[in-house]
Amino acid sequence: MATLTIQNVKKSYGAVDVLKGIDLELENGEFLVLLGPSGCGKSTLLNMIAGLDTITDGEILINSKVVNDVHPKDRDIAMVFQSYALYPNMTVERNIGFGLEMRKVTKADREKRVDEAVRMLQIDHLRDRKPAQLSGGQRQRVAMGRALVRKPEIFLFDEPLSNLDAKLRVEMRTEIKKLHQRLGTTMVYVTHDQIEAMTLASRIAILREGEIQQFASPQEVYERPANMYVAGFVGSPAMNFIPATVVSEDNQLGVSIERTANGERSSVFLALPDDLQDIGEWVGREVILGIRPETLTHRSDAEMSQNKRLQPFDCQVEVLEPTGADTLTYIELGGREVIARVNPYNTSNPGETMAFMVDMGKASLFDPKSELRI
Amino acid sequence: MADIASLPGGNSPWRSAGRFGLYFLLLSFGVYYILPLIVVLSTSFKDLDEIRNGTLLSLPAEINLESWRYAWSEACIGVTCTGLKPYFWNSVMMTIPAVLISTVLGALTGYALTKFKFPGANMVFAMILFGCFIPFQVVLLPMAQSLGFLGLANTVPGLVLVHIVYGLPFTVLFFRNYYVSIPDDLIKAATIDGAGFFTIFWRILLPLSPPIIVVTIIWQFTQIWNDFLFGASFTTGGGQPVTVALNNLVNTTTGVKRYNVDMAAALITAAPTLAVYVLAGRYFVRGLTAGSVKG
Repeated sequence: MATLTIQNVKKSYGAVDVLKGIDLELENGEFLVLLGPSGCGKSTLLNMIAGLDTITDGEILINSKVVNDVHPKDRDIAMVFQSYALYPNMTVERNIGFGLEMRKVTKADREKRVDEAVRMLQIDHLRDRKPAQLSGGQRQRVAMGRALVRKPEIFLFDEPLSNLDAKLRVEMRTEIKKLHQRLGTTMVYVTHDQIEAMTLASRIAILREGEIQQFASPQEVYERPANMYVAGFVGSPAMNFIPATVVSEDNQLGVSIERTANGERSSVFLALPDDLQDIGEWVGREVILGIRPETLTHRSDAEMSQNKRLQPFDCQVEVLEPTGADTLTYIELGGREVIARVNPYNTSNPGETMAFMVDMGKASLFDPKSELRI
Repeated sequence: MADIASLPGGNSPWRSAGRFGLYFLLLSFGVYYILPLIVVLSTSFKDLDEIRNGTLLSLPAEINLESWRYAWSEACIGVTCTGLKPYFWNSVMMTIPAVLISTVLGALTGYALTKFKFPGANMVFAMILFGCFIPFQVVLLPMAQSLGFLGLANTVPGLVLVHIVYGLPFTVLFFRNYYVSIPDDLIKAATIDGAGFFTIFWRILLPLSPPIIVVTIIWQFTQIWNDFLFGASFTTGGGQPVTVALNNLVNTTTGVKRYNVDMAAALITAAPTLAVYVLAGRYFVRGLTAGSVKG
């Protein structure tokens, strides 16, 4: 187990700045997910933690010790690669034991530890096979076995599941989560898949063009995204962004949104919850209202009477997309296409006007210029 | 897969005619190419009387190995009448170290150029590659000076050095292009596992290399064994490789031209490259590449 501290780390290739000052701090046994699209610098950062890439500026500390100039083999880390990177000429057993062999662990001790690892990963029947004779999921397990047999301080995962098919990916995701719970080792995991990030992480760092957008727990990232980029990247279907104007009605602040209902164009007032009542300077100005599809649904008077943050409005339905559990209902608000998650038995037909309610307690407001959360 | 020959409408007379034409053509070319070998082989088994009285294409009445023995141990090369034997061993002593050393160096250089990239690695590779296009004749004079300077002129080790230097661009090219296709992640994984430069080369990369090693050895062996120009330029007398000796054997005439000895000598000279191709070529065809690089 180890702490990991990354202080103002920068990376440039010539004139191109790949990482522009990353600050992260990990506690013992945390599971950090570096999330971002390809080319955001997340794999570069992981390689720098591993020591496979040099650091242009800043410091990386493992257990409060600066490791900038420490060789990868002496950092006490293990890495699982996207391509698995199993040694094709060695059997599963040799693959897993290679790191121990290089560290001059005695043969008896090595065999014992390889034994433990293959049992834990349920691949003991495959130990004499070569990587070419294994399926994708089995290779993935061997790659994990090779990492965990060394009992490292930190595990690094570089998009380990992206080469697997959808079903296996979900299975292996759970496996990795179980592994983390059992071992309690600090882990750093790189992915572009927001579901993997949400399910695995104790904290997520979202990167974009070499900068951290937000570093917080999955729930916080989901509910209180720091900016529109994070809000749009996490969650599926993505958060709705609706242009709105902040107005004051009956001593209460709210947003006014254009919409079509019963064949007529008009504005609707949605009151903001108490914790968003202190944005007086925004009155009369335009903001972006961010609403997750599941907080926008068909109106239920019973629920509304219990929760005063639920705000009602009517709107004309454009398109329905049934998914089985919910029906995605497309409506138009403030000139934007908006998705609402509606119970399949409460939908209205396209063209009809339907009664909706939105949970403003879970809404986010963004500055349209800076795209930052208000 | 569907059997193309058994598709409906596939057996028309036109098709049969086409097949006949194709096989006829293939057979003609086959005969055309095999004929010289048959003539050389059959002539080497005849005695001089039979050569004089028979036709070129007639087969030998009996297998007579006398001319082979003569070419191997008695024929005169210039003024020394020792047969090809000492020169054949010269060639062996030259080719084997030159092939092995240039292959090992090529593998190491290819590995360093792809997996331990340093600034300017591509530039270095481009310059090495340039060596492939330098004609033999251009390097003759500087090479002769270098050999003289090193005191290796007119020796087998001198020829070994020449062939290593001249072969390196090719072996580097082969190994570099092969190693480029091996994923870098393998090297990263091994680095984290604690393996160093040579351990990674020896334990990870070399076991993946047999296909390209076979290609390189066949190429280098053929090039070096068959070389005539370097041998003729840098050696005289006892230090000559067998190709130069063969030339001198054929050109040394005392009285009657012994065609059977010339033919046998030519076959003796060509035998090793043929053998290497027949033996190692099998590995080539077997396709050791199948699935070996897939991690």
